[in-house]
Amino acid sequence: MVDAVRADLEVVFRRDYPQVVAVAARVLGSRDEAEDVAQEVFLSFGRSRVPADEAPRWLSVAAAHTALNHLRSGRRRAAREEAAPTDHVAPDIADDVVTREERRRVRAALAKLPRRQAVALVLRHSGLSYADVAAALDLSPGSVGTTVRRAESALREELSTHAFAD
Amino acid sequence: MRSLTDRHPADGTLRRLVDEPAGVSDADRAHVAGCAACLAGLAAAQRDAAAVASALRTDAAPDVDAAWRRFSAASAPVRSAVPAAPRRRRVALRSPVVAALGVVLILGGAGAAAAADWLQIFRTEQVAAVPVTEAELVALPDLSAYGDLKVIAQPDVHDVDGLAAAREATGLDVPLVEQLPAGVTGNPSFTVGGQLVAEFTFSAAKAAQAAGNAPPPPAGLDGATFRLQAGPGIAETWSEGHGVPALVVARVVAPTAYSTGVPFATARDYLLSLPGLPDSLADQLRTFTADGSTLPLPVPAQLVTSSTADVNGTTATVLASRDGAFTGVVWVEDGVVTGVAGSLSEDEVLAVARGLR
Repeated sequence: MVDAVRADLEVVFRRDYPQVVAVAARVLGSRDEAEDVAQEVFLSFGRSRVPADEAPRWLSVAAAHTALNHLRSGRRRAAREEAAPTDHVAPDIADDVVTREERRRVRAALAKLPRRQAVALVLRHSGLSYADVAAALDLSPGSVGTTVRRAESALREELSTHAFAD
Repeated sequence: MRSLTDRHPADGTLRRLVDEPAGVSDADRAHVAGCAACLAGLAAAQRDAAAVASALRTDAAPDVDAAWRRFSAASAPVRSAVPAAPRRRRVALRSPVVAALGVVLILGGAGAAAAADWLQIFRTEQVAAVPVTEAELVALPDLSAYGDLKVIAQPDVHDVDGLAAAREATGLDVPLVEQLPAGVTGNPSFTVGGQLVAEFTFSAAKAAQAAGNAPPPPAGLDGATFRLQAGPGIAETWSEGHGVPALVVARVVAPTAYSTGVPFATARDYLLSLPGLPDSLADQLRTFTADGSTLPLPVPAQLVTSSTADVNGTTATVLASRDGAFTGVVWVEDGVVTGVAGSLSEDEVLAVARGLR
């Protein structure tokens, strides 16, 4: 059924919303954008038949994919960045610029990763177990470490080539 | 006792030692503890993991109450639409989800965004439903992972005042409904969109990176550009309370694609051979004719059934939600996709479709 409200929707929303936002925020680097993505994800969840006990994993995977789609499309980010004032100067403008530039580099690097590596990386750093990441990506648990390692190595290399300091 | 000739654990195992050492075998742990090379590898994995954790850190601490209020407000029509049994079919239409599903199905499965990226390499002469699961949709890769996708023209979807304005904006013959089904009344609103044009340039290097063990592309494919276009289109919508459609009639110039010399079949077969596309979906797509004339229409298998019917001599695809809340019919004629959908029975939808002027 496509439209009926799941009886458990509010319970699941209240329980899992912070995790969904956290996953999306790791991809997008912005809480506002992450909350937009979370709303989208829960709208999809609301019309799904995913069992409540499988919801956390389903929601995390959906959040990662949806956020990556947003990231790769670049539309929302570009719109927000264009909308941001550039001529008013705050006292901590230098820090702000550095932070923004670092975030931009990280997201650009993340967007360059193969989709599977990016999702595995984000899910793992969002606290999902190797078993959960394996199930989400249809990988063997043994290959999750390899996928995450490659993603981290690639991300680190990408960031290093742009003089990113950790 | 460990021997120096023991096999070194893979990098993935070293990485797992950082997060879940209990998931690593005793033998591997013992080897690493006594192996300088592996300890160096472990240290590198730890450094990279820490650096990436720092780069991805987030201080997101959302206000869940506020988020729930926002979600509830945005989905209020859905949430108020849980129907009493006798009125379920009609009231259920008040869900924007159903309305969106109808429009999506009619306009060519664009809602399955990732899938649509793949499908637009076809020249559409007919439509065929392709049942897909949610998991398959989620697993679909982005086309942008296999090359560069550049949008040349956005469709600029907007409402217009009436039939004449819709015709002028799109150049299309606006479908006229001969007789509205029982329960559908009033005048329609008109939504139009211009042509969507995008160019995709295939990159063997990107594909290899995205797909891991991608096979070598056929000659000429690396660097080949495909121009994809669809539209303009028009949708007529009859609302039934809450501004949500009771009936939608839509017409859009079917998606077409042009390449820089690479046959569609060559590109399609190669794309379908890449790892990443769910096997069952790839198998279904392979069954379509190689001339690129069939537009596969992804439909959520758990929610929708499909069949075929005749609409004035053209074979049409009929889609119906399993709970009876929604029915739609879509067909292609002379390069134009037309569809009718609503909270109607199959007979009612087909009657509207066959009566369009």
